[in-house]
Amino acid sequence: MDIRKRSLALFYCQNVPQSGIKQRQALEKLYGPSIKLFPLPCSGRLEPLHLLRALEEFADAAYVVTCPEGACRYFEGNLRARKRVELARKIIASIGLEEDRVGIVMNEKERQKSLADFAKELMSRVSGLRPSPVLRPRTGFEDPERKQGDKL
Amino acid sequence: MITATQKPIDEIKETISPYKRVLVLGCASCVAECAAGGEKETGILASTLRMAAKMEGKEVTIREKTLDRQCVKDFVVQMDDIIDEYDAVLSLGCGAGVQAVAEIFPELPIIPALNTEFLGETRDQGFWVESCVGCGDCMLYYFGGICPLARCSKQLLNGPCGGSKDGRCEVDPEVPCAWQLIIERLERFNAMDRLEKIFPPKDWSKKQGQGPRKIIREDQQR
Repeated sequence: MDIRKRSLALFYCQNVPQSGIKQRQALEKLYGPSIKLFPLPCSGRLEPLHLLRALEEFADAAYVVTCPEGACRYFEGNLRARKRVELARKIIASIGLEEDRVGIVMNEKERQKSLADFAKELMSRVSGLRPSPVLRPRTGFEDPERKQGDKL
Repeated sequence: MITATQKPIDEIKETISPYKRVLVLGCASCVAECAAGGEKETGILASTLRMAAKMEGKEVTIREKTLDRQCVKDFVVQMDDIIDEYDAVLSLGCGAGVQAVAEIFPELPIIPALNTEFLGETRDQGFWVESCVGCGDCMLYYFGGICPLARCSKQLLNGPCGGSKDGRCEVDPEVPCAWQLIIERLERFNAMDRLEKIFPPKDWSKKQGQGPRKIIREDQQR
């Protein structure tokens, strides 16, 4: 299965390993328009509106990657991010959108993953979602292959 | 400040359903402080409604704007130039804000998105508590700065009911006994003698029963 068939907005803390500009550009090249990457100085900067606007405008799913629990450089940025993600999940559920279109993944203290690891894992995860009914309201809920040039 | 909470999304969707062009209007004052109707919440609600409309295949225009205050005409008239672009306004102001906007734009439906709750204080992040009933005759001096009307479940003015346990209200153990707090405060200030005053039943005519209350200050008028 092509894991690039859904579009992902991926927010990430800049303290996630190997998440510099070069690595970001490499991922953008690898996944093309299926991924949009948004570095954050800390995941605590994330607001529910960031996730919602991504879903509204271009993304089938919007996720945030944070530092491990207890290892936030600013102490509790990732805990705040978790609460905000939870709010965004409730909001989209209230209008009938699957909660899994929004999520948070925390890195592990013992075995830290890189941004590329997370991108691959999350692209794979969201490829199992149906196309977003927000982005394709007129095509129904089937799974049409996206045509080249379609707005993500 | 005035506190509020957002109405259920289904209720909001139903009330705006007749309209094709809706302005979601936030207020950057009290309802922003209580995280119900400020710029962030306005953006979230507008985005949510746009997504819901797309999912339902509805062609609507939903935009957002936040005023510094909806309850002050000088701020509301900032919308003079754009208001013709909309069929309705979904207001995230308090009840006063909704009505002030409606007064200034009488041709337009102004729909509330919030339930106005109470006059309260921000006790902690994400925690607001009622502290004033707006009775029109403040007695906080006598009660050490703790209002028994707002904070005693039984609104007692002449001493505690005797039912509290461990400083907690017998009606709701989550609530600190207002009279426990009053006495602790007055003792701290060595001002227990203030409680020797006997208060008659509260005169609520200063709060309600005579139509909307007004404050007129000629020195502040044009």
